[in-house]
Amino acid sequence: MSAMTSRPPRAPGAGAVRRWDAGRIARIAFMSVVALTFLYPLVGFLTVALSTDNGVAAGTGGFLGLGGISLAGIQHSWGQIIAYGGSDTPHVYLTWIGNTLFVAIGGGILALLAALPTGYALARLRFRGKKLILVITLLAMVMPNTVFVIPLFLEVNAVNAVGKLWPVAVIMGFFPFGVYLSYIHFRTAMPFELVEAARIDGLGEIAIFQRIALPISKQAVALVAFFSFVANWTNFFLPLALLTSSFGTQTISVGIQSLISSSPLFNPTTAAGLSVKLYMPELALATVVSTVPLLIVFIVAQRFLIRGQTLGAVKG
Amino acid sequence: MTTATTTEALVSGRRAPASVHRRRRPHKEAWGAWTLMLPYLVLLLVGGLVPIVYALYTSVQKSPTLLEPNKTGFGGLAAYVKVISDFRFAQSFKDIFSVLVIWLPIMIVAIVGLALLVHASPGRFGSIMRFIYYIPGALGGVANLMLWVYLLNPSQSPIAGVLHGLGFTTIKQVVATPGDLAVILAAMLLLQGLGQWVVTVNGGLNSLPDDVLEAASLDGANAWQLAWHVKLPMIRQWIGYAALLNLAYGFQLFLEPYLLNQVAAGALPSEYAPTQLGYWFAFVGSDFPAAAAMSIIIVIITLAIGLVVVFRSGLFSVEEI
Repeated sequence: MSAMTSRPPRAPGAGAVRRWDAGRIARIAFMSVVALTFLYPLVGFLTVALSTDNGVAAGTGGFLGLGGISLAGIQHSWGQIIAYGGSDTPHVYLTWIGNTLFVAIGGGILALLAALPTGYALARLRFRGKKLILVITLLAMVMPNTVFVIPLFLEVNAVNAVGKLWPVAVIMGFFPFGVYLSYIHFRTAMPFELVEAARIDGLGEIAIFQRIALPISKQAVALVAFFSFVANWTNFFLPLALLTSSFGTQTISVGIQSLISSSPLFNPTTAAGLSVKLYMPELALATVVSTVPLLIVFIVAQRFLIRGQTLGAVKG
Repeated sequence: MTTATTTEALVSGRRAPASVHRRRRPHKEAWGAWTLMLPYLVLLLVGGLVPIVYALYTSVQKSPTLLEPNKTGFGGLAAYVKVISDFRFAQSFKDIFSVLVIWLPIMIVAIVGLALLVHASPGRFGSIMRFIYYIPGALGGVANLMLWVYLLNPSQSPIAGVLHGLGFTTIKQVVATPGDLAVILAAMLLLQGLGQWVVTVNGGLNSLPDDVLEAASLDGANAWQLAWHVKLPMIRQWIGYAALLNLAYGFQLFLEPYLLNQVAAGALPSEYAPTQLGYWFAFVGSDFPAAAAMSIIIVIITLAIGLVVVFRSGLFSVEEI
């Protein structure tokens, strides 16, 4: 991790920290136990996703069902997931993934375009009304976003856009947390003196943002993009309210709900009428595949989540 | 770049430019600020202010009835009276409270504890641990629910022995036994939210000035003293922030009780949480004024928590701006 290695070497005397004292052993042991507690169900869940229906139902496979993993099981489950959807909306699972990519990336780009300049303006420019904008942003950030869903539904319904994907993406673009992250970033990473110096050099306010603030905002870009993408990808209530009316324009989170309600495990009556049989392995595999984009984004963004190079530079 | 060189000189120098700063023509700065904020202001209107105002307007309209499904016109506070006098209204808030009481204290202690432990573990071990803690949170939403369906279903759960020991044979029993739901929801929220907040608070810890931490360890502070006496007070704001945001988060509970009810084949109350009741009014009752009134009530409650966070907690130095 570059951020870690760039940390200055510990002062003399701090070498004692390296010793295997009781505290160090306790810390590592405790953290490992917590990690195992987290991993245990996850590994089991992953195993179910990779096993056959019969194997899971019979409980064969030994510890966490690890022995039950089979390629044939995966192929069968994936075939069932892909076959789900009927004649009007074939391969609807893939359509859901595509829809979710559209709203999550679209919403993320809008959030970035809005958050970075606003965060900069709030952090480094003086103007009347700044406090009001900041307070509204903070309030909107602290309030859970599902409280807005019914009002948003009424708004979108009033313009006859329920069931369409673009209103979902636009609404996801409103991401006050991103504004706050950018605001904090520019307050810590960009001293007033930097702005002043640019003004002395004759740059306008917009140009200062584009040429001075933007180049040092890699950290903020990564954080806003990451948090916004994850929030959009996993958002359930908003797409549920805005998209339920049309099966083919749902996002993956709402789609998985459809899978659950079509499973013979929980809803035998509905499931009896379907040629596709969704047991636990199918549901688990559909879920696991749907989280792959999130893990990719996390791995890409991880080094920025730890510590910004620019933050470190300013701290000196 | 000339700007960069000037800037470096200024940053390394003392606070010379303060006077220049003052004399700046303010209207040009203000114009620049509003221009930069324009995209955000549009989104703020579309995604926040307009829907709230429209919901306020809708909430004072007349509710449709079976005989007059297209009834419109000013209805005063009738929709609010209808919502508040609904038998599910008070119950839904009690439900949320029963989850919060269990979940919130455990959550805060776990966030702070794990963030401090991760921060005390530099290098590969710490980053691997942080990654593992994050994974259940990355599952998020529906995926987290599926994980719990797997955990709670006695027929194939990895803790099936425990569930059988408690006398459960179906997931419906596990979820629908009175008193279980609050505990299950608390556990779900914990597993889901913990990792993201550990990452966030750990980020706060990473931004602490190195020199302070180094000075403390030079003075002979051990890892425990460093965490308790130096780091903890310095991330006080992050802890308060986590506490209040998670409190407000409790009011947005929707997905978990909504989907658990599907898994339990409708054995749970379908209006467990306040947001579910609002959803019911909009999509089952087709009563938009009542749905609007319900959501305005939830907005007011969360707005009150929000105002406390912003103005009273000292987390955001709004007064300094």
